[in-house]
Amino acid sequence: MAEITITVDGVQITVPDTMNVVDAARLAAIQIPVFCYHPRLPAVGMCRMCMVAIGTPRLDRDTRQPVLDEHGKPMIQMLPKLQPACTTRVSEGMVVITKSDEVKFAQNGVLEFLLTSHPLDCPVCDKGGECPLQNLTMEWGPSTSRFDYSDKVHFEKPYKLGDLINLDRERCILCSRCVRFQDDLADDPVLGFDQRGRKWHIISKSDPPFDSKFSGNTTDICPVGALTTSDFRFRARAWELTAVPSLCNHCAVGCNTTLDMRHNQLQRVMPRENAAVNDIWICDKGRFGHRFIERENRLTTPLVRRDGQLQPATWDEALDVIATNFRAIQATDGGAALAGLAGEHLANEDLFLFQRLFREVLGSNNLDTRIGAPGEYALDDVGYQYGVGVGTNLMKLGKGTAVLVFGADPEEEAPLYMLRLRQIVTQGGSLIVANPRPTKLDRSATQTLRYRPDSERDVLLALLKLVSAETKQIPQRTTGAAELKGTLEQTKLDVVAKLSGLEQAALEQAAQTILAAEHLLIVYGADVLVHGASLSALLANLLILRGKVGLVNSGLIPLLARGNSRGALDMGVRPDKAAGYRPLQQVGLTAREMWPAALAGKLRGMYVMGSDPVASYAPAQAALDALAFLVVQDTTLTATAQLADVVLPGMTVAEYDATYTNAERRVQRARLARKVDDASKPNWAIVQAIAQAMRGEPVLAGAVSSETTTTITRTVGGNGKGGNGVQGKLTLTTSTASADAAQENWDYMTVAEVAADIADLVPGYAGITHTALAQTAQTKGWGRQANEAYFYDGTSYANAEGVGLQVPSGAELPKATFDLTPPPATKVPASSTYPFALLVQTLAYRNDPFLHDSLLQSHIPAGYIALNTDDAAKLGIAAGAQVQLTSAAGSLRAPARVVADLPTGCVLVPAGLADLPVSTIQTGALTRVAVSRVAE
Amino acid sequence: MIGDLVKGLATTVRYMFRKPVTVEYPEVKRPVRERFRGRHELKRFENGMERCIGCSLCAAACPADAILVVPAENNPEHPNSPGERYAATYEINMLRCIFCGYCEDACPTNAIVLEHQYELSYYDRHASIYTKEMLLVPPDQGHGAIPPVLEQVNRTPSPPAQIEL
Repeated sequence: MAEITITVDGVQITVPDTMNVVDAARLAAIQIPVFCYHPRLPAVGMCRMCMVAIGTPRLDRDTRQPVLDEHGKPMIQMLPKLQPACTTRVSEGMVVITKSDEVKFAQNGVLEFLLTSHPLDCPVCDKGGECPLQNLTMEWGPSTSRFDYSDKVHFEKPYKLGDLINLDRERCILCSRCVRFQDDLADDPVLGFDQRGRKWHIISKSDPPFDSKFSGNTTDICPVGALTTSDFRFRARAWELTAVPSLCNHCAVGCNTTLDMRHNQLQRVMPRENAAVNDIWICDKGRFGHRFIERENRLTTPLVRRDGQLQPATWDEALDVIATNFRAIQATDGGAALAGLAGEHLANEDLFLFQRLFREVLGSNNLDTRIGAPGEYALDDVGYQYGVGVGTNLMKLGKGTAVLVFGADPEEEAPLYMLRLRQIVTQGGSLIVANPRPTKLDRSATQTLRYRPDSERDVLLALLKLVSAETKQIPQRTTGAAELKGTLEQTKLDVVAKLSGLEQAALEQAAQTILAAEHLLIVYGADVLVHGASLSALLANLLILRGKVGLVNSGLIPLLARGNSRGALDMGVRPDKAAGYRPLQQVGLTAREMWPAALAGKLRGMYVMGSDPVASYAPAQAALDALAFLVVQDTTLTATAQLADVVLPGMTVAEYDATYTNAERRVQRARLARKVDDASKPNWAIVQAIAQAMRGEPVLAGAVSSETTTTITRTVGGNGKGGNGVQGKLTLTTSTASADAAQENWDYMTVAEVAADIADLVPGYAGITHTALAQTAQTKGWGRQANEAYFYDGTSYANAEGVGLQVPSGAELPKATFDLTPPPATKVPASSTYPFALLVQTLAYRNDPFLHDSLLQSHIPAGYIALNTDDAAKLGIAAGAQVQLTSAAGSLRAPARVVADLPTGCVLVPAGLADLPVSTIQTGALTRVAVSRVAE
Repeated sequence: MIGDLVKGLATTVRYMFRKPVTVEYPEVKRPVRERFRGRHELKRFENGMERCIGCSLCAAACPADAILVVPAENNPEHPNSPGERYAATYEINMLRCIFCGYCEDACPTNAIVLEHQYELSYYDRHASIYTKEMLLVPPDQGHGAIPPVLEQVNRTPSPPAQIEL
């Protein structure tokens, strides 16, 4: 990429030669108005708004050298007509004139023409106030129009492109940004043009209409008010909104969002630019799936069970009941009779204090974020140990990068990764998608590997064998090389090819891609996470053999379940390891072991925070019923909460200030957007209150207020904790109390103090304090900044909150060791009784409490069982017929879907649907089932 | 000196026989000028539809931040106002209002008009908040046909957006 110098309006600038004139001029703070051009989309030159005068140095025909004038300067030959700046690439010595009568005339003309069909209904338009058409008309447009106002074309409205997106055909200027976003970036080519002339308009070509998980982004990039969301329709004007930085908690991407609030109500969710996470996009789940914050059945006061009924109580009463009962259980059966479950969407501060409460106050290691259902994700330590290096930015990767997506369906599990991985391919990287079933990402892949279910281990061993054959040198501090060699010697490529149904050549090609890669990324999802280290360790071995561990832009990316799944593992909410993956001497019970222990009477008390095991795993109910005492902390009265003795009202991500860690171990901060009533406490403060009640200390008044968090700031490294927790009498000291002293006390006044303790006590989080996070603020993004490219208005918000800090992976720590030992095989052999392999598909739109009350509710499919066409024909099953799946654990019925591209010998069942509780038939990571037709 | 005294008394005597300027408020009320800016009214069209389309431009223009508008989407079966949008909530805090008339200027449909009522006093601060029901004129007091530009389904040629009152 060469640097060249051009002159724009007399200003000389040096820019990369791949830039177009619009972007180059932007670097010199010169605005060229655009409608159809968008920096994230390929330029098409449809709107003609960016016409500028362009000249290039005149070249001598013989010598190909610039002709010089009498002053010794190159003679500039202006092109005879104006050129579109967005489709013109800069060249050496180019001269651009953006302000001349000719250019002004062209800009006026284009705008006058665009406005002939525009209804000028800005007062009722949701885009009004952040509309590029408004801005450009004020700046570059004519003040009058020569066209007859009465000659405007009218269409019926609203016209629904899908149930989420409305199109106003009168307002549309046909720039095709939405069509190109869907075609080029999202790879959901569902939009197109219809008709011609004045009737020319955008239509949806898919059924159901506008079937894309990224549809909301088209409303952001629409330069007029043609595309608006049903979610925000006529809710408020843009200037009335208060934008609060937040995070989407739905999946492990950790997209930066902005909660646009008015009157303490969430009006809409918008993306916040963060190049290393979500760029300027968010998926529809993040945009429309945040109505759970304002659910009507939110809990507001603690509930205590009296006479068999849950009745409202004060905090003091509730905490007193909890402390009394926990103390009683502790006294009779010891701390090991207590257990805790926490949701993976909760903040680092909540989870850190939760495990402190159990380990230090209650004396128990029985902690888990899972619920013990068969077929749920195993604890993913490998993803931390060999995760992508600090500083990884997928946006910048392209040529020389190989991505292996293994056992993952990013579109459903972590939708934003679709855009990010696709971009790597567009920029020249290679993408290998290995899955037992087709996924949408296959279309973007440079190579797809469709292995048979349960042959994952063989495929990975084959890849390892091929890669190790070419590997001359393995990294230092590596162990287990001999064991791996032994296993690989037993791996025969032709046997693997036969087992997995893959061509040997395909495996060799994939190995070649991996070997040739300068940056190697391995993305794995549900199909690997259920198996845990037995598969992910083999993926890590690929990285170790290639020497791509602990390096920037290389490593593992696990598509974990929730927004803070990584944080929960980091904070040590797990039975076997303390915060920072430090092994424990005494290992507690996993969630799966808790239920039998509760039934046997060994486990007598539980504290469930933000988790609802009963809803998704029915056997948990009997176990929870058997408990002597159950505390549930959640935002609504969930199925689990209905069994509780004490229910504490929790808070959602929008209601308190806290930090979250995403799949790439980036710690980011969400702010308080919505104020709940004064009595409510953030989740971490509730945990602290319980700890204080257990220790017989008065509850600090200050700890309940989440508002104070913004006013008290701490210096990095310094531990400015003050107050000794007596009757709210506080003495703020600036002394640097040691970490030990902090651990003793339960007197956090603000969430920043908890974060500072995490920074002190959790290895890897050193230095990640709120102050440090605030210093990552990006003020140079796009968005609503004065005098900067406001023709992209409404596109995105500047990231003033900060882009977050990455926790180093295990491999990046000094003296990290790398283990090549292959984990033992865990095969589930096929039997004649249960001949089919059960593939469980994680859906983005599922029966998730987070999607309640949102428009996405109608996108959740009814339960179905998908079968291959051949299998269906063999069993005599027609599409829509009732099918029964039987496994060793149970049976399940649903209508059949017959699909051609599913491999034979397996059935695909969506997980997390209310009418299809797939966990009832699962026996483990892989379940073998029998399929039979149900007689009508 | 006596001359000055007589002069002054003469004026007094002269005014004794004139009709007094003072009126016995509140029984008698002095008429206001045509352009007097008093209490706001939300106008209607002839067919009883609300003129207000809930655009919040009055609230944006208000220098005293006295107006609150919460818009909503019209039910196509029973629209409150022509077009897709109407004001679900419309409130003016008369204690904040400075009666500058900017809201009237900003209104694209001439829905809000500062009328001649000036007797605004309250026993309670909350009573100073005038709701939409209080501000809206009765349906039979509407006037002016709905311009087709506000009727989105009507495809006939449309006059400019600013409607003549």
